[in-house]
Amino acid sequence: MPVNGSRPDTPADGPTGTGPPEGWEAPRERWLSTVVRPAFGPRSVLLEVVARLLIPAILTFSVFLLVSGHDRPGGGFAGGLVASMAYVLRYVAGGRHELAAGLPLRPNTLLAVGMLLACGTAGAPLLVGAPVLDAVQYKFTLPVFGEVKLLSALIFETGVFLIVVGLVLSVVAALGARMEAEEQEAREERAGRRPRGGATAGGGGA
Amino acid sequence: MLLPFIIAIHAAVAVLVPPLIRVMGSRAFLVASLPLALSAVWALVQAPAVLAGRPATASVAWVPALDITLDFRLDALALAMVLLVSGVGAVIFCYSAAYFHSDERALGRLAAVLVVFAGSMLGVVTTDNLFALYVFWELTSVSSFLLVGHDDRKENARRAATQALVTTAGFGLLMLIGFIILGQIGGTYQISALVADPPVDDPWLPVALVLILAGAFAKSAQVPLHYWLPEAMVAPTPVSGYLHAAAMVKGGVYLVARLAPGFADVDPWRALVLGFGLATMLVGGWRALRQDDLKLLLAYGTVSQLGFLTVLAGAGTATAATALIGVLLAHGLFKATLFLTVGVIDHQTGTRLISQLSGLGRRMPALAVAAGAAAASMAGLPPLLGFVGKEAAFEAFVPGHEAALPPVASGVVLTGLVAASALTFAYSARFVWGAFADKYTVSERRFPRPSRAFVAAPVLLSAAGLVLGVLPVLVDPIAQAYAAPFLTGGHGGYHLALWHGLTPPLALSALVVLAGALLFWRRRWVARVQNAMPRWPAAELGYHLFVHTVYSTALSVTRRTQSGSLPVYLGIILATLLALPGVRLLLAVAGGDVALPVGGPSFRWWDNPLEIVVAVIIVVTAVATVREHRRFPALILISATGFGIAGLFVLHGAPDLALTLVLVETLTTIILVFVLRRLPATFNVRPNGWGKRGTVALCAAAGTFVATSLWVMTDARTAAPISRGFADLAEQAGGHNLVNVILADFRALDTYGEIVVLATSAVAVASLVLLNRRDRAAGAGDTGDTADEAAGGSDPVPAQAGALAGGTTRSDSGGTSEPPRPEEGG
Repeated sequence: MPVNGSRPDTPADGPTGTGPPEGWEAPRERWLSTVVRPAFGPRSVLLEVVARLLIPAILTFSVFLLVSGHDRPGGGFAGGLVASMAYVLRYVAGGRHELAAGLPLRPNTLLAVGMLLACGTAGAPLLVGAPVLDAVQYKFTLPVFGEVKLLSALIFETGVFLIVVGLVLSVVAALGARMEAEEQEAREERAGRRPRGGATAGGGGA
Repeated sequence: MLLPFIIAIHAAVAVLVPPLIRVMGSRAFLVASLPLALSAVWALVQAPAVLAGRPATASVAWVPALDITLDFRLDALALAMVLLVSGVGAVIFCYSAAYFHSDERALGRLAAVLVVFAGSMLGVVTTDNLFALYVFWELTSVSSFLLVGHDDRKENARRAATQALVTTAGFGLLMLIGFIILGQIGGTYQISALVADPPVDDPWLPVALVLILAGAFAKSAQVPLHYWLPEAMVAPTPVSGYLHAAAMVKGGVYLVARLAPGFADVDPWRALVLGFGLATMLVGGWRALRQDDLKLLLAYGTVSQLGFLTVLAGAGTATAATALIGVLLAHGLFKATLFLTVGVIDHQTGTRLISQLSGLGRRMPALAVAAGAAAASMAGLPPLLGFVGKEAAFEAFVPGHEAALPPVASGVVLTGLVAASALTFAYSARFVWGAFADKYTVSERRFPRPSRAFVAAPVLLSAAGLVLGVLPVLVDPIAQAYAAPFLTGGHGGYHLALWHGLTPPLALSALVVLAGALLFWRRRWVARVQNAMPRWPAAELGYHLFVHTVYSTALSVTRRTQSGSLPVYLGIILATLLALPGVRLLLAVAGGDVALPVGGPSFRWWDNPLEIVVAVIIVVTAVATVREHRRFPALILISATGFGIAGLFVLHGAPDLALTLVLVETLTTIILVFVLRRLPATFNVRPNGWGKRGTVALCAAAGTFVATSLWVMTDARTAAPISRGFADLAEQAGGHNLVNVILADFRALDTYGEIVVLATSAVAVASLVLLNRRDRAAGAGDTGDTADEAAGGSDPVPAQAGALAGGTTRSDSGGTSEPPRPEEGG
């Protein structure tokens, strides 16, 4: 999406052929995907840039923590916290519309998928007569990566990961986005009501 | 044996029925009747072997460690019940196909629950394990709850459903206790083994029996717990006909009949069964006489008949047992017929009030004949099955007929039976007259004729009652097989038959007909007497008192314990901590049982000098947090304390813990910042005084206690730590990170429980928001601008807490009439 309203790569002044195309100096995309209206405080370009640059790295890091958890510090819980931190950053920098635009699934869906994964790993061993939550590991060799170890616990950890993300997102949605929306609603109500009830309702505040 | 399979088919059909209803409409009930028909046919096929004394059995292990097996055993009594539950049930299902409109609301749910009910009732009457019986029993209670509350938009339907559930399931819990006692003293939970070898000498046996009878009486609507049954008549008529006439309410009678061969001679069994049964019979009959609603008339009639059945089931004599089978089948057939008749009348004319019906007999002759035959069976007229059963019942209580019953008791019971039978005759006559007679004072209604398929079901059931009445030899083998264990050798058994010669019971039957006819003929006079009688306290009163007491107790306890003030909650928790383990620790230290590990061999000031630096940071930030009056700096300071603790973890070589703690600290800080936006900038500072000093003392003491006890405990290890072998085990499990392997493998079940808690709290947070929203909407609608401002602008978090604590937010937000402060939102 362009900032200035016209696509920078279409030569608006093509026929003349003199000078650079209009708007060539503007970036092709905004830093964040929606109209930025931060949750609180004035808009901060620094924060937006940092969010844009860091969020992919944070999400990748969270998956790394999840996958490497069995041998190194990390795991599903820590990974989930890191991933949700990425969304919290996005919310702080861009406000609730930005948060909504960035969510792949609704928090409830995340929770449900996480519970399903965890319950599935917990219950699946029962089908083959093994005790609940029995873990299996599976090793194989991939061309580039060499020997790879897959544990059934990883699926369980993925469930934990999703549930943590779902929990944090519900809390952020409830305590952040929802309250923000309500504040805005209240502001609009006040704005709409003042002309009519100005003598009584607006009197105290103004 | 096929039975577990058949019950599984019921479950499968229950899943399939809702989509079928969507496709086929109410005709899907015909499909739903298939498993019932299957089990009835299966029972008939098994009948010869069962009646020859070879019960069909099957067993599926369920919880072997607790001696819970799904044992199934089809004997004569179970056979009779299966024929009722599944045979009559299948007919009622076919009738439902014509009764319900395809666009009836939630018809799929109704059909599915009805099939579930049929399956669980089949389980109740065929299982041979007490626990399995209890599970099936409560499944019928729950499905009955759903069926009675079918029209869930009506308040009285919901109330009746709750009342039925609370009554039957509440007393069902008593019954469960009785089952456990019985199983423990009998050494087995297998019913047939318990009945064959009852632990008669055990002092606990009477307790167990009383508890079990309480459950059975509640289920079978015995006085004074009968109130739920007439209330449950808000259910659709086929449901009432099936659950509350043919099947579910017989559950209690079945249980009494099931246990009677082993326990009838144990005190106070007979006194309870005969006493409550007779009272129920009389009260039900008396109340039925003055009902205007045909369905309520039948409901009270059912109460009366259930009392009758309980008397017969619990008497514990061979003749009574024979009579029981006769009356059981007769009642199932005639009462289902009558209910279905009321259903047809209600469906066609739109009313079932006696005072509004007239001339139906001429318009629906087939139905009138069928209902008349069924009512005659209920009244005990020959040649119907009801007559056969009632004759046998009178015979059973003729004084001196059975040695087990003292003559006086038999005399009393017999008098009661005759009186109640006269009432039964009277209300049967009232039913036929009320439903079908021409009444000169009532204008006739215009209504469409019912289709043949619709009337077929009551006609079929009524005809079955007639056939079995004319040919009682078809029923007699079942009765004989059930009565066999009661026979004590002396004389031969009593057989179900139409004609026994000129016997006292025949004379009593004639007396009943005369008295009943008189009661019906003089019905105005009877009504005057009934109106003139002082009103008894309604039995329902007890239920309402109980429910009200529970509510008000819960409310007052909540009001007293949930003040909504966080400092008070924390104070109570900390004070308890200090009062119990704290005082204990103090005594132990003071008494010298525990030595403070100062200067011992394992005592060190630090492992790493850096810890001192971190400790200083923690202490300084903690102290500063307490002294800070502004919220935001306090939040930052307390986060710093948290990060300091994470630093300690790092220094002790626990990167996993440190990582998680840092992440959690960061997140909570951010989330608290969201909340802080809406809170005042500073804390409400307590004035200096005793309150503040008390808080300081309490917190300091709690902190000291925790620190000291940790210090003492870490030194007090006596056994080797369990984690010693974990490193090797982790290698086996395929991981090098011990913490993570513990979380995801060794203690995965704990982790599983924790994520369930996480998910639950996430859902709770979401609902908290909804609550707040709804509350705001209500407040805005109620008090307008002020409430809206107060809830939305100034302090939503206390409002949420208040809403959680007891729904007092509305009054709060309405009361806090602050002036609007637009600058705060923006």
